[in-house]
Amino acid sequence: MNSTAPRAVVTGIGLVTPLGTDVAEFFEALCEPRSGLVRPPEGHVAHGLIDSAGIAPDLDAAALVPRHDRSVADRFTLMAVAAADAALADAGITIGQDVDPYRVAVVAATGAGGMITFERQARASGERGAPGVSSYLYSAFLPNMATARIALKHGIRGFSSTVTTACAASAHAIAEAFRLISAGDADVVVCGGTEATLGGLTGIAGFRNARALATGWEDDPTAASRPFDSRRNGFVLGEGGGMLVVERADFADARGAAGYADLVGWGSTTDAYHLIMPNPDGSGVAACLRSAIARAGLDLADIGYVNAHGTGTKIGDMAEAAAIQQVFGPDQPAVSSTKGVTGHLLGGSGAVEAAATVLALAGGTLPPTHNLDDPDPKCDLDHVRGGARTAPVRAALSTSSAFGGHNVALVFQPPSTRLARTAAGAAGGTDHAG
Amino acid sequence: MFETIRDAVKTALTEMDYDVSELTDTTVLGPAGLDLESLAVAELAVRIEDDFGVKFADEELPGMADLTLDEFASLVVERMGTTSAAGPAA
Repeated sequence: MNSTAPRAVVTGIGLVTPLGTDVAEFFEALCEPRSGLVRPPEGHVAHGLIDSAGIAPDLDAAALVPRHDRSVADRFTLMAVAAADAALADAGITIGQDVDPYRVAVVAATGAGGMITFERQARASGERGAPGVSSYLYSAFLPNMATARIALKHGIRGFSSTVTTACAASAHAIAEAFRLISAGDADVVVCGGTEATLGGLTGIAGFRNARALATGWEDDPTAASRPFDSRRNGFVLGEGGGMLVVERADFADARGAAGYADLVGWGSTTDAYHLIMPNPDGSGVAACLRSAIARAGLDLADIGYVNAHGTGTKIGDMAEAAAIQQVFGPDQPAVSSTKGVTGHLLGGSGAVEAAATVLALAGGTLPPTHNLDDPDPKCDLDHVRGGARTAPVRAALSTSSAFGGHNVALVFQPPSTRLARTAAGAAGGTDHAG
Repeated sequence: MFETIRDAVKTALTEMDYDVSELTDTTVLGPAGLDLESLAVAELAVRIEDDFGVKFADEELPGMADLTLDEFASLVVERMGTTSAAGPAA
């Protein structure tokens, strides 16, 4: 890494997940571990269609978006705005007051964008023809509307963009933050992503009919998501996501902000193997991990923890395990997947798992993989399972892979800012450097 | 016809997810009242065009937000008399 480039530090986290919206509670649940998965209740669109789902809390549109278009704001945008509001509040930044709006960027990712809106409007058009279609169709369903709403609400006037690389999307968005900060193109970046996975029948049915989802867990929906376990048989749909505030470390220091962790590198590769199947040899993921570690200027031995993509599909987990084995050889880092607790938040998962990685690093507590009762011998890794592991680590990786063959890895280290903080609270007063 | 148009406007607004329970003839459609913003005014205009065979010019739309329900319905009646010899399309 260019040692003269500005360092990027995570100073704010905002989450909307099946575990709720409280960051400390989220991390506690990961560490217990306590499942966020339920059987979709009667009345829910997924009821009777899937055994288990990670349902995020209802959000109050009135508190998040202006009155005149509240009825058309898609759920994925409400979740993104809620997470961005929380992340900025957590970082203690008011744009325009604490930072020049033109030096702030926003990159809110999503896999599919406003599928709920599109489904609803397609039905209206089928029933009533053209007059049934809302003039708000595009301002509701376009994937970039989460970015646009966050920018509009907070007056962000620098770089803005939206990444739509399916389940790697919000990890890509965070990698973009690193690039913007280290290139000097922004002082503060609001980055992450969300997915409103569970709002419409069409989207759920598409995954179900592709036989991608865990089945046969109707008696215990909390057991359905079991990354790296021998009995895993698919992933569990979860909804939500997260936004992080990433800023120049010297900027954070100047305003007296505490950092959770530095974002020190990223890697990204493409399998170019199949549209939705990962390359089973793991070579694409392995190259991604190596590239991220090299870009961070670290050695393999520095990586003490990998927050794996680990979705709970047969082939995906095997490919990822193969990649981690290849890269690290005999000295394996601790590995866990948060999806055993949260399910798979698709375009939102990279950001939520980056948050989990940052919190694990900040507190020196590595959350376990829930439901990993009998590790698949084909996924032979140093799994954290049963309960959390206390293990201070020098650096941690978060990996994401996606339909499309996209792979992303993010590398974090303890914060270089004067003040440090953990999930347990805005420690603000802890003098990390001292 | 005025009543028919007023009811059609209320139906359109309901279908557009606006709460019309407190809408009166003197409620302003735009920010000063019901708070329709530009896209909502555009949609309402298109719906009324489709239903009654009238036409509104783009330049007219911003001003519509300042009209009350009564004034808007009157505008449609007036427009039907001048632009649509064939009568309502629906």
